[in-house]
Amino acid sequence: TIVSRICGICSITHSLAATKAVEKALGLEVSEQVDKVRILMHYAEQLQTHILHIGYLAVPDFFGVPSVIPLVARAGDVVKTIIRLHRLGNEWSELIGGRTTHPITLRPGGLTKIPTEQQFRQLQQQLKNSIADLKTVLNAALSVAGNIPDFERETEYVSLRQDAPPTYTFYHGDITSTDYDGVVAVDDWKTVANEYVTDQSTAKWAKWHRDCYAVGALARFNNNADLLSPLAKDFAESLGLKKGCHNPFMNTIVQLVECAHLVETAVELIDGLLVDGLKQEKVIKVKPKAGRASGCVEAPRGVLFHEYEFDSKGNCVAADICIPTNQNHANIQKDFESLVPQIISQGEDAVRQKLEMLVRAYDPCVSCSTHMLDVKFVK
Amino acid sequence: MSRDTPGKDVVVLGLGNLLMSDEGIGVRLVQQLYHSADEFPAVDFVDAGAGGLAVLHHIQGRSKAIIIDCAYMGEPPGAIKKFTPCEVVSTKTITNLSLHEADLLRIVDMARQLGQCPDEIIIFGIEPQVVKPGCELSKILADRFDEYVTMIRRELED
Repeated sequence: TIVSRICGICSITHSLAATKAVEKALGLEVSEQVDKVRILMHYAEQLQTHILHIGYLAVPDFFGVPSVIPLVARAGDVVKTIIRLHRLGNEWSELIGGRTTHPITLRPGGLTKIPTEQQFRQLQQQLKNSIADLKTVLNAALSVAGNIPDFERETEYVSLRQDAPPTYTFYHGDITSTDYDGVVAVDDWKTVANEYVTDQSTAKWAKWHRDCYAVGALARFNNNADLLSPLAKDFAESLGLKKGCHNPFMNTIVQLVECAHLVETAVELIDGLLVDGLKQEKVIKVKPKAGRASGCVEAPRGVLFHEYEFDSKGNCVAADICIPTNQNHANIQKDFESLVPQIISQGEDAVRQKLEMLVRAYDPCVSCSTHMLDVKFVK
Repeated sequence: MSRDTPGKDVVVLGLGNLLMSDEGIGVRLVQQLYHSADEFPAVDFVDAGAGGLAVLHHIQGRSKAIIIDCAYMGEPPGAIKKFTPCEVVSTKTITNLSLHEADLLRIVDMARQLGQCPDEIIIFGIEPQVVKPGCELSKILADRFDEYVTMIRRELED
């Protein structure tokens, strides 16, 4: 699809958000099997991008090196583990999506192909084997936990919430926040995002109950931590993570916790599919009709909204996309305003490093939201 | 095509973005070469797209990797050059702010440090004329396409 090309990192996520919106607008309802396989496809990408972010972008910060390349000399085994996990995420995406990025099996109304029972069993074994690798990364994270900046700023955390059945959700559900007990239907996402422009930025900002909000792994955790898998809860406990965490640098750490959840839950999902028996299904034929709907999934870096409108001939006459990094912009700015006075005496290099780390902690999806800036200090 | 096959000693990686005119030359060439895959049973032909860190996965465990990519080399548009990673220096800097900036030569260096690098890496660089949104190659590259295929096939036959 065209929307998949928005991002080379979270192309499955964009494709799923769009597919959900299109299916809702056109009144298509897919089978339980399709739904489960799509969730597995989504999990694959979550694991792939979480590992990419943790291992290649954030971990070097915690080890005090400029990139992953010098880390090879310091912690070669950890780098090899990261590469293995990243490869698993890529191969898992390819198995279900038809290729590593930009999935080709996904269609409004179904999936053109699903893996065989044997392929699912192989994947399941690979996932079980990967738990040892995740524990290696956990131990590496614990060894450098002291380098995570001790910074807190209370804010609103927005994510999906799924009550039926209660699930630590990336895919189904409605919108909730730490400032709001209820949920807002996905079709009403604009009452949540409230996008606006500001003089200081070329990107839109977002706000709901406060002047900014955060989305991403930490938001999901702060809203849904009770629903994590047992292994993920163990990871969270050993990392000292508790619901109500307001340290944005911990977003990366929560991503690691989520990796444990993704792997453990995927093993169960595959069990469920195989117990039910895989069925060959055709993609539901799409009959053009007028309609408008929104679709939402959790991108690795937070809630993603797609909205489409079709006329009676099936032409798409309107489209709107609101990405997670965009929703985080105002929150990152407010973090800057709070953090800088606390560290300004540490010197330019330290300030620059901590601010870069802070931006990285949000795992910004640069291709779809912003471009890199060459920062100069104004004195 | 993009799936790695265990046990194949040689991999041909085509890098690039098909939506950016000449930038997609590596992918187009590997797609073309894949039609001759039966002639080269020990060779994997992989569309590696924009490449990035996944290149590590594709080259690991091979004895030889051939990488085809669009490259600014200061040559006339359409020129093709064969070189090894040791023969060139990357002018690109990695800022570590974005996921999309992994530099091929640094990735090869990283694989080498990790002991996961093929003994032999050959890069075919092709100087682009047009790198902008578009699904077609420039005429200069399109006219020389068969010549590129022949040159890479010769490398595989050696």
